[in-house]
Amino acid sequence: MLGPIDVLVIFLVSIIAGFIGALFGLGGGVLIIPFLTLVEGVPVPLAVGASIVSVVATSSSSAATYVQDHLTNLRLGMFLEIGTVAGAITGAFVAVFLPASVLFVFFGLILLYATIIMVRARGIDFPADVKPDKTSRILSLGGQYEDHSLNRVVKYEVTRTPLTVFIGYFAGIVSGLLGVGGGIINVPTMNLVSKIPVKVASATSNFMIGVTAAASASVYLIRGDVNPLLAAPLIVGVAGGALLGTRVLKVTPPARVKVAFGILLAAISLLMILKGFNLPVVL
Amino acid sequence: MDLNRLVSYSLRIGVLTSALLSLVGLSVWAAHGFDNLVSAAGSDIASTLASAFRGNDSGIIYLAIVILIATPVFRVAISSVYFVKEGDGKYVLISLAVLSMLLFALFSGYAG
Repeated sequence: MLGPIDVLVIFLVSIIAGFIGALFGLGGGVLIIPFLTLVEGVPVPLAVGASIVSVVATSSSSAATYVQDHLTNLRLGMFLEIGTVAGAITGAFVAVFLPASVLFVFFGLILLYATIIMVRARGIDFPADVKPDKTSRILSLGGQYEDHSLNRVVKYEVTRTPLTVFIGYFAGIVSGLLGVGGGIINVPTMNLVSKIPVKVASATSNFMIGVTAAASASVYLIRGDVNPLLAAPLIVGVAGGALLGTRVLKVTPPARVKVAFGILLAAISLLMILKGFNLPVVL
Repeated sequence: MDLNRLVSYSLRIGVLTSALLSLVGLSVWAAHGFDNLVSAAGSDIASTLASAFRGNDSGIIYLAIVILIATPVFRVAISSVYFVKEGDGKYVLISLAVLSMLLFALFSGYAG
């Protein structure tokens, strides 16, 4: 049973999760899931159900700002959503058949991998001479945005689109299984595979996460895995935190964004793996 | 109005409405002495939603959750209308594909 103190603590933590989520193009679920399961002792299906609802709030709230600033590539986002939404539905259905321990370890390993490629590729934020692939040309996926920290307009092309859609399907599955947005996979994929600048990748990922999470959230909601006393403080907290986070992204240089992102990913992946092996994790 | 603004406004209004309703729901919950609230499932969700209009705390929070989930779905719907207006056939198809998957998720959830 959840009392007023629990609700207040969840609210405060979700402000931080919303802030960090918006800053790194994540839905904030990567922080909410460990907090609810390890600190609050919430059963995994209920933690995932509440988290995926809050992910819709973080993502939509920060996406609204990025879209207005023309940082989001709307066409690219909508095209990639075909993969992520299909994956999210798959994940939400499969979730009931898989033991949580397997998923946590699996997720921890993917996260660790994403961290390594992200840190190793720190130098290539504005990839030059990118040749758009056939899909990208047909759907005119390339774009441009105004980089406020560099004070110039950055033009970019999108390449290897089918591979990014395929990995997006996989990211959607992870999202539907574990109640995270899938940005942890989407942002590095868009940046490293399709050569999209990290700011555009973060903004576009945030935009996609809202729809991706809405797909699996509706499955969890109807299944009865969304508790009102977990969801309400999360919605209020992450919506506020996300507003703050989007303000910061506009002025922080890309290199620093990536380093902070890498450290965050490494810490969380360790937590996930420990949880999967049922080791006592003390926070 | 261009697509960027249309999308941005609809997302902002949806999240704001949901967050405010969540706050109202939590306030009513506090005023009623912090009762335990349980999750609703399947067809019970409709009656829980209806109880929101009688000032029921659980009902108000469920209304907030449903509005929140509907926000990105609505965003995809207005995008498809926008692409129809622009005569952009490829993106009409793309947004309709996403929209139909979202609706499938809602209805198949009922069936399962």
